[in-house]
Order: sequence, then C-alpha cells, then structure tokens
Amino acid sequence: MDRKTKIHNELLNWDDTVRKRKITLSNPVFIKGLALAPLAIAATSLKSSFILSAMVALILTPTRVVTSLITRKMSIPLKTFFYPMVSAIIFGFAYYAMYKFMGTTAFSLGLYLPILVVDPLIVKNFEKTRKESFLYSIINGLRNTVGFIVACLLIGALREILAFGTLGEIKILSVSLLPMAYNSFGGFFIIAIISALWSKMSHKYHDKLIREDASYDNA
Amino acid sequence: MNKIKTKIDSISYYDDMFLAMLPIILCASVVYSRRVILICGIAAITARVVDVAMALLLKKDIDAEDKSSIIASITFSMMLPVSIPLYIVVVTVALVVMIGKHVFGGKDVYPFSLAALAMCMAAVNWPENVFQAVRPLTKVNFWTGEAINGVSAPALIKLGGLPYISTFDLLLGNHPGAMGMSFLLVILACGTFLIVNKRITWHVPVTFLVTCAIFSLLFPRIYGVSRWYSLKYEMLCSSILFFSIFLINEPATTPKNPKAKIVFGFICGIMTMIFRYFGSYEIGGCFALLLINATVGFWDRLFENDTKESEIFNFIKKNRLATVSENSSVSQVKIKKVENKVSNNNFNRNQVKNNSLNSNSVKNAKSKDNLSYTTTLDIISRAEDSIDEVEFSTQTIDMNEALKDFEKYSKEGK
Repeated sequence: MDRKTKIHNELLNWDDTVRKRKITLSNPVFIKGLALAPLAIAATSLKSSFILSAMVALILTPTRVVTSLITRKMSIPLKTFFYPMVSAIIFGFAYYAMYKFMGTTAFSLGLYLPILVVDPLIVKNFEKTRKESFLYSIINGLRNTVGFIVACLLIGALREILAFGTLGEIKILSVSLLPMAYNSFGGFFIIAIISALWSKMSHKYHDKLIREDASYDNA
Repeated sequence: MNKIKTKIDSISYYDDMFLAMLPIILCASVVYSRRVILICGIAAITARVVDVAMALLLKKDIDAEDKSSIIASITFSMMLPVSIPLYIVVVTVALVVMIGKHVFGGKDVYPFSLAALAMCMAAVNWPENVFQAVRPLTKVNFWTGEAINGVSAPALIKLGGLPYISTFDLLLGNHPGAMGMSFLLVILACGTFLIVNKRITWHVPVTFLVTCAIFSLLFPRIYGVSRWYSLKYEMLCSSILFFSIFLINEPATTPKNPKAKIVFGFICGIMTMIFRYFGSYEIGGCFALLLINATVGFWDRLFENDTKESEIFNFIKKNRLATVSENSSVSQVKIKKVENKVSNNNFNRNQVKNNSLNSNSVKNAKSKDNLSYTTTLDIISRAEDSIDEVEFSTQTIDMNEALKDFEKYSKEGK
C-alpha cells in the first residue's frame, strides 16, 4: 500500500487509528488521564516507574483477557464487581512473582502498588457494553500496557532528573532544577505539562495528515 | 459634575511601581553588593523572555507595554537573599510567569499574586537557599553568591529565640535578611510615594498592618518580655511592611471596592499571622496571600452595590443596552460596543461625547440606520457622566429589545 492510500485510509477511519495507537494518539495516561494517582505520587524515579510498569504489565492484559471470557453474559452492575475481583486475584500472583524477581524492592511503593487493582486503567473496561473477543482483549491489553509503560518511564525519568539531577541513580546534573518534582503536586504538575504537549502533538499529527492528503489530491 | 477616576492606567501603575522599587534596589546594591542588580536583571529578562515566548506559543500579539511580570519578578528578587543561585531565580520566574500568569489568561486577569506565587514555589523547592540571611556590608561573590550568613530575626523568633537589634538598625535594615525587605524607612517612603500618586490606596496596607499589629500584641510570640517588645520585632524585623506595600496591592489580585479592600486587608493580616505562627516557613504572608487571592471576587461581589460605578454597571446590565465587562485592573470599565444587526456604523467615541442625548431623541431616531446608535449613545453618555474612560469592543445584542427597555426606563424617569 502506498503512502497516499495509507494516509487516506487512516483519515477515513480516524477513530480506529486513534484507538490502535495507544502510545501516541490515545495514550492511556497523557490523553485519557488514567492511572494518574499512582503515577503522580509513586513514580518519582526511574526505579519506581519500572516497578509500577512491571506490575501493570503483569496484571493489565491477564485481567482483561479473563474478564472478557467470564463476563460475556453479565450485566454492567455485575461486571463492576467482577473486574476488581479478577484483577485482585491476578495481582496476588503478580505480587508474588515480583517478590521472587525483585525481592523486597517490589514493596517499596507501599500502597500505590495494590491500589492499581481498582485503577481505571485496569478496570475501566467494565463500562463497555460491547463484548470483547478473546484476541481483541489480548491485543488491546498489550497496547494499553505499552502505552502506560512509555508514559510511566518518561514521567519517572523526568521527575528524577528534575528533582535530584540523576537518571537511574547516575548523576547527570550538578543541581536540582526543580526539587518539587519529587512531591505529589510536582508530579501532577509535570504530568499536566507533558499531557498538554502530547495532546498538542497528536493534533499537529492529525493536521499534518490532512494537509498531506490534500496535497496528494491536488497533485 | 462629580467624576470618578475609574480608569487606572495599568502601564503607568507598573512604571510607578518600578520607580518605587528603584530606591530599594539601590540600597540593596550598596548594602549587599552589585549582585543585587544582576539578580534583578536576570529575573526581569527571564520574565520578559517567557512573556514573549508564551505570546508566540499561544499565537497572541506580543504586548510590549505589559510590565506586570517584570515588576513581579523584581519584587520576588527583593525577597531573596543575595546569595541565591541564579538558576533558582530563572527557573522560578519562568515557571511562575508561564503557569501563574499565562495559563490563567495573562495580563490583568491572573488570579494569584505572581511575586507571592514565585516566593512560595522557591521556598518549597529550595528552602535552604531561600531562607539564608546574608550579613549586610560583607563581601559577596558576584557570580557564585558566596557570602557570610547570619541568622535572620524572623528565623530566630521562629526558633523561640530572643532577637536583639537596635530600633535604629531595624529601621535602616542593618541586620541579616533578604535583599530588599529590611530597609523599612525606604519602603515606607516608597509606599507613601505610591499612595500619594494614587497607585495604591491606603485601605489594604493600613488594614493589613493594623491587623498584624493587634494580632501580635494580643498573641505575642516572644516570651519573657513585654508585649510591646514582641510587637516591635514582629512588625519591624520581618517582611510585613514590604509585603503590605508591594505584594498585596497588585491591581489584578486585589478587590476593587474600598470596603472589600478593608475586609481583604483584615483577613490577609489574620491569615499572615496564623501562617507565621503555625506554618513551617518564615514567609507566611505569601502563602496567606495566595489563599486569600482566591476569594477576591467574592469580596467584590459582596460589596458590589456600594459604589456609584456598580450602580452604572448594574443599570446597563439590567437594561441590556450594552454589555459591561469589568477588567481586573482597578475599576477599569469596558462598555462593549453595540454592533447593530441592521447597520454597521462604526462607533465613534467622539460622537458619543458630543451628543448630549435625552429620551426625546429616541423618538426622533426611528430610522433603521441610527436605531441602535442613538439609544446606546444615551446610556453611554449617562455612564460617562460618572466614568472618565470608556473602551469599546465588539458585542452583538438585540437592539429592538434594548430600545423597548430604554423607552420604559425613560418613561419611568428613573
């Protein structure tokens, strides 16, 4: 497929394009605003971001797949109970797995790891009335996971650099540019700025595609 | 005809603020070295650069006459010690101008005092640098800011100590502290200059100072000495006077109504003292001001029916002949231009002034071309009896309905 057709198809099915691109156009954190509390409070460094990302990677897709299989004929109120229940059970296994690999480091985030069980990032899907196929739940779960991991690592790295002048505990700046980045309100502040830029860039990308499509038409 | 001076020229206001700040900068540069000028210059340049960058980013016109962020950045600099690292000044000013000013709409509409916001941000981020107290008339490194530090009197009081500085030194600012907050006599002179020039009114500073004085007299923080001794140090060795002149009188973040100003000053005084007594930082006033800034609109609304201006606002709003919007600069009035649906006549302000219309002229103005023109002229000329300056912008209203309202108004002879 040449570029012209590709762009044209992308624009024609823009909603699908947005849905598929979970890293850029519909990032679960920067565009949809999910999982803000654990990110703003707990993702203060690259290390803590990695722990959060690992936990999300372990529970998001399995929760989605299991619930898509067992909640097909359930009403929405019942789904509301079922989703956190399934995610909590999966979290138990994930927690044990992380302890095996990371030791007590995995518990350094305290409450903000188990709180993921009821985070909209994991359980938001219960609101959807549309039945999700097994394959679609895997693909979508993985896309959301990758989108979250990118955002989480970006926020953690940026906050560590601004607050301590380090990245992965390696000194890269001699001064602390913005120590408040370590605090919760600093975290919200940084997420807000990145979200605004992210949203702006996604709009710019859309405009660029429209212009490119128009230029092909004119040619 | 009693005219109320309602148009406060914000440009002149900031010019005068700069003039008032100049003696303090000069005093500080003599006492604390030339680094003071470097810090103020860098703060002002950063503020201006961020202003221009945000205007370009938001695709707005660059306002060459907007000096609010420059003045705020210089005010903020005056609250810092001379040993402050320069990057702290740059980062704080840039963030505050970007988020505290432009995110909230820019000039004249930002709700929180920029200087107070900057000080709070710097205090939270770099308390060990911000609360250093450099000894006056000692050597300060021009670039690195290395200096001989002492203990400031507010810090000593906070720790439960008993400061001993002679009254003369307190008045002259000859004790360790921030760059510009300790020269009490100079600050007092600058405040008088601003009040005499009608750039600020007495309401907020006087109420604020009296409230702080009464509070510290009733609840002294320094134990084992007389209440008057405590009062002296609370009022003279801290930032209260500087704060009352340069921070809480910003037109964009202060109530417009005199009664509201008095209430504002009173609450600000109480909150400042509470923050100083129970807060973690010495600059409790900045945190208090940010908190009270959020209530400015409420106090104005509470007392809105008490002024003649308010009567005019209410009359015009009520009669729907023109839409009035109140700018955040003190009492600045904008009567929006009526754009007629039937005629596109440009509104000429000189014609408004030259036409002394009365209700009879409405009957003679039934032609479509000057239908809206005539009716609104009367309202605006009435408004101009009490308001010096009227600015126009574009707004569309239903003129037929407005004409009916106006005729009804004329018949009733209100």
